[in-house]
Amino acid sequence: MAEFKMFEGCMIGNRIPFIEASCRKVFDKLGIATSQAPFSCCPDPTGFANFDNDGWLAIGARNLALAESEGKDIISLCNGCSNTLKLVNHTLKHDNLKKDKINKELSKIGKEYKGTIDVKHFVSVLKDELEKIKSYTVKPLSGLKVACHPGCHYMRPSEVMETDDPMHPIDLKEIVAACGATVVDYGEETLCCGSSVSNAYEDHGMAILKKKMDAMKKAGADCLVVNCPACFQQFDGKQRDLSKKFEEEFKIPILYISELIALGMGIPADELGTKFHRTRVSDILEKIG
Amino acid sequence: MATDFEFRKQVLDMHMSGVIKYCYQCNRCTDNCPVAEVTDNAYNPRQNILNALLGFKDAIFSAEKIAIWGCTVCDTCDEVCPQSIELTEIFKLLKNHSVANGDAPDFYYLQAKTIFENAKAVPSQPAIERRREQLGLPTVAAPDINELTTLLKNMGIDKKLKGE
Repeated sequence: MAEFKMFEGCMIGNRIPFIEASCRKVFDKLGIATSQAPFSCCPDPTGFANFDNDGWLAIGARNLALAESEGKDIISLCNGCSNTLKLVNHTLKHDNLKKDKINKELSKIGKEYKGTIDVKHFVSVLKDELEKIKSYTVKPLSGLKVACHPGCHYMRPSEVMETDDPMHPIDLKEIVAACGATVVDYGEETLCCGSSVSNAYEDHGMAILKKKMDAMKKAGADCLVVNCPACFQQFDGKQRDLSKKFEEEFKIPILYISELIALGMGIPADELGTKFHRTRVSDILEKIG
Repeated sequence: MATDFEFRKQVLDMHMSGVIKYCYQCNRCTDNCPVAEVTDNAYNPRQNILNALLGFKDAIFSAEKIAIWGCTVCDTCDEVCPQSIELTEIFKLLKNHSVANGDAPDFYYLQAKTIFENAKAVPSQPAIERRREQLGLPTVAAPDINELTTLLKNMGIDKKLKGE
């Protein structure tokens, strides 16, 4: 497999780096090679794109140009970053007027967008390595009941993301099953986590979060697996507030899919930094022994 | 209600194929919208599409902020629309206008300012750098802040930022 440029993103790189740690360890085991580049913010498809579309295209195109200059595809650890970079790539490949406009701006800073590389979300890379994941799983996760939340921008808008079924996603479930864990269906897999609307309307985000948490609690999930740092922060960081707000106990540990795979590979939790989660991961660690 | 033809043209230009013209107000977008559900339709994507298509600029921008900014950008409406309208693209245009008018929620100005000044939405912090080291991670490759600031200034985007 050719080397990828690692796009860890602002949130993982500068706020919750333990997610990058588990991703790097899993990539090493599976032989997925990466290298760094001085990428800026992607920028945020739910934030900066709504601030100024052309500015968003220009910054995104500049990031793509950095990877293009080395002739390497990007691997993203984040739904938001892969959404932005794929949308920008798609828009500029299909709209020559926009492409010329953006390149005119990029030329002033000595850059050019050509449209020669691809962007991959790491989950869509991992789902092509299921046999390898199975063979490296040394610690059986059987009996662990896992709910899945792939997050909106892993697969939507489907015309651009080209990963999974937009309303009935299976990639994340297949990876969880490859680790030997049991996938628990809870009926709200494709519902948004509520993170983006929370930026302006916290209460509405919490109402959506509750709908999701209620469903997975009812389904009897031991934990929730995610593949987006914004979703992770919503589920992991806000669960305690949710319990307080609705006077109902929610205590479902949140794991990044890379952490679940790493635990199955026998990588110690200490090395993954699971103690930095806000929800209690120790219950799961006891369960898998 | 008056139609603003210039605004209407911008809306129609969002889809090269012109599919927005084929919206027949079936309400599937609103029926499937998670925010419409928890706000009793105070956020209503179908209404936004109708107003945008008719060029009712005043109706859109003089309404409560949530009418535009309630969108959680989940792209569910795009997927369920029987006419393949990319509603989220239209909503992005409405939000860009709202930002330029100075009417967007604070978060959006704050995030843009953070990106303008740091080239990252979450700037590097010493405590996290130490944690990265403890976890055996390499230092994050530093972005060229000057280059990004120049790019945004050249495009006049700094003028949309709000003061301290």
